[in-house]
Amino acid sequence: MWVYEKKLEYPVKIKTCNPEMAKYVITQYGGPDGELGASLRYLSQRFSMPTEVANGIFTI
Amino acid sequence: MNDAQEKLMRELMAMEFMAIDLNLYLNTHPYDGRALMIFISTAQRCRMIRDNYERMYGPITASASNSYPWPWIDSPWPWEG
Repeated sequence: MWVYEKKLEYPVKIKTCNPEMAKYVITQYGGPDGELGASLRYLSQRFSMPTEVANGIFTI
Repeated sequence: MNDAQEKLMRELMAMEFMAIDLNLYLNTHPYDGRALMIFISTAQRCRMIRDNYERMYGPITASASNSYPWPWIDSPWPWEG
């Protein structure tokens, strides 16, 4: 279902160490309202989608 | 990662980002023939660059590992920049 790729979708270059910013980013990513949770919800929602278009969007 | 490798990786990232965006667009506009043509040529270019990169610097997916010793575990990983 998923295949790991040794590459990023978009380049990231962290130039300075910033723990405050890191905390913020990790919360956006894995926190209670984060992207990780949203992505898993999309994966379940696709099963009850009435249109092919919505299926495609949820299954990217 | 040397300069040449980074340059090729960036080119691949740019091309594949374009393919992902076209993919999203085509999901909601499946009859847009012009976008479809652009997608097909973009995907083809992605494959070309990816094959090139893998030949020179090692596998991007585990299934492209074809040398001894098993090269998948070699650096760099994406987070090692």
